[in-house]
Amino acid sequence: MSRYLLMRFLLMFPTLLGVAVVIFVLIRVIPGDVVELRLAGDRGAVSEQVLNQERARFGLDKPVWQQFATWMWGLLRFDFGTSMWTGAPIGQEIKLRFALSFQVAVMATIVAVLLAIPLGVIAALKQDTWVDYTVRIFSIAGLACPSFWLGIVFILTLLVVFKWLPPMVYTPLWVNPWQNLQQLIWPALAVGYRYSAVATRMTRSAMLEVLREDYIRTARAKGLWQSLILSRHALKNAMLPVLTVIAVEFAFLIGGLVVTEQVFNLNGIGLLFVQAVAHRDYTLIQALTMLVAGFFIVVNFLMDIAYAWLDPRIRYR
Amino acid sequence: MAVARPVDPLELETPSALGRWAAAAAEFCRQRPLGAIGAGAILFLFVVAALAPVISADDPLAVHFDAMLARPSALHWLGTDAFGRDVLARLIYGSRTALLVGFGSAIVGAALGTILGVGSAYFGGRVDLYLQRLMDVFLSFPLIVLALALVAILGNSVPNVIAAITVPMVPRCALVIRASALSIREMPYVDAARAAGFGHARIILRHMLPNVMAPFLIMLTAFLGQAILLEASLSFLGLGVQEPTAAWGLMLRGAAVDFAEAAPWMAIFPGLAISFAVFAFNLFGDSLRDALDPKLRTQ
Repeated sequence: MSRYLLMRFLLMFPTLLGVAVVIFVLIRVIPGDVVELRLAGDRGAVSEQVLNQERARFGLDKPVWQQFATWMWGLLRFDFGTSMWTGAPIGQEIKLRFALSFQVAVMATIVAVLLAIPLGVIAALKQDTWVDYTVRIFSIAGLACPSFWLGIVFILTLLVVFKWLPPMVYTPLWVNPWQNLQQLIWPALAVGYRYSAVATRMTRSAMLEVLREDYIRTARAKGLWQSLILSRHALKNAMLPVLTVIAVEFAFLIGGLVVTEQVFNLNGIGLLFVQAVAHRDYTLIQALTMLVAGFFIVVNFLMDIAYAWLDPRIRYR
Repeated sequence: MAVARPVDPLELETPSALGRWAAAAAEFCRQRPLGAIGAGAILFLFVVAALAPVISADDPLAVHFDAMLARPSALHWLGTDAFGRDVLARLIYGSRTALLVGFGSAIVGAALGTILGVGSAYFGGRVDLYLQRLMDVFLSFPLIVLALALVAILGNSVPNVIAAITVPMVPRCALVIRASALSIREMPYVDAARAAGFGHARIILRHMLPNVMAPFLIMLTAFLGQAILLEASLSFLGLGVQEPTAAWGLMLRGAAVDFAEAAPWMAIFPGLAISFAVFAFNLFGDSLRDALDPKLRTQ
């Protein structure tokens, strides 16, 4: 067991290194570089000498492997460098945006869990009845609606029916919670619906599987209350795969809100990503990718540990 | 002494393939009404896409400056957009883009994923280890970010959008296929084929691939809906299909949001079309999964 955990822990590093290599190469293949865009983006006459001087300032004139080594060395010391576009330290650029994306992701998760678990359990209990069909159609529809479109519909409804629009300027939670929630609840709902659909389906299928187990029949035969069977025996055992999808979706949301952020005019990680790619801001793209991928890898690692810990039937080599 | 040519057990059975498929389809429709509804909706989309010039009353590219942002009327059933283009006509032609991108990327993604998954499982050892690490790397990349970077590199024509959507699908498919291929590799008939002296290519193509058809089809149908959604998202961001091509995601971009209050038909109908198509593919894919392999969990 501890051997497995150690192996699993060590495996995170080659994956992270792989991500680093891929993004490092990928963004250098995109035509155009940050210096050209920033200095000559408006087709102003800038001499090649000035461009090269600027490139040298960023170390872009050095061989690629050397640039990579410099970046890696910085990463090891948690030094992400400065943005090539704004010149501000990367940490400062990301901090507030991360707080925003993280909060929307957490709120969407809450929406999803509140919807998914009751719906999934009911659907499983009433399998093949109209209740089950309704829940299934509701959740398949959640997978089908683009969440950015749902966002547009939300805004439109609020505007037409209530003559009200959510605040357009971001207020951090710690400054004015009410203002903050008024703005962020809508993207959280739009994203949370899709998210809940994934989780509802997993809850339903996991519950169906567990309900067929012998120990549930035994509990019933004992004359145990249905509610106790559900909460103590069934739900507890069905939660593991559900927890996994919730965790994976959550990790995905940190960087996956790109389009929703666009609709709600939220200045989060997703939007920052789009801007960074448009500006060819190498340091920022690299830092964001490592952040999002790292988050995903760590969450997956924690889920594997949770599996090994919670389910004693799982034995690893 | 003449050496007997090894007999491939697959060559011995020769049932009528067409008959089997027809019977299976009939059985599927009877047992899974929701899936049949999904299949019907998909068929409907195909008919609309194929007969677009016949059904559509207007040219999707025709600009009517006298009828910009016109509300739904007898002339323009679903209204017009900011350039006075007929929304219904653009929806009808948009189905072509959606199906093209959807099927293009789902088929390529699932096929590449299957090849990698089966190869990884069959060869095992080093090959498996390295391929798995590579898949891990691509899995950790946020889907949209990968697509974003690829479109920025390749430029946004329809084939490039298909490529950008395909790349993130490959590792997801390979993961699932590898899991089923691993158990197939241990089957006695694969041992038998190896003992009979068949080469790697033949064992993979004739003995392993046909037996991962079920997860392959499941991944394929699951990808169809996702690809259509992803194309819509990319087009909405301006990184997908380009104007003036009719595409649903593109129709939601720009003016549709700016004029959402004055001309809500511009924002509502394309979203409904996307949802309808993805819903149809998911409904069908879901039932197909239940029918083929209820244990397999896809999103």
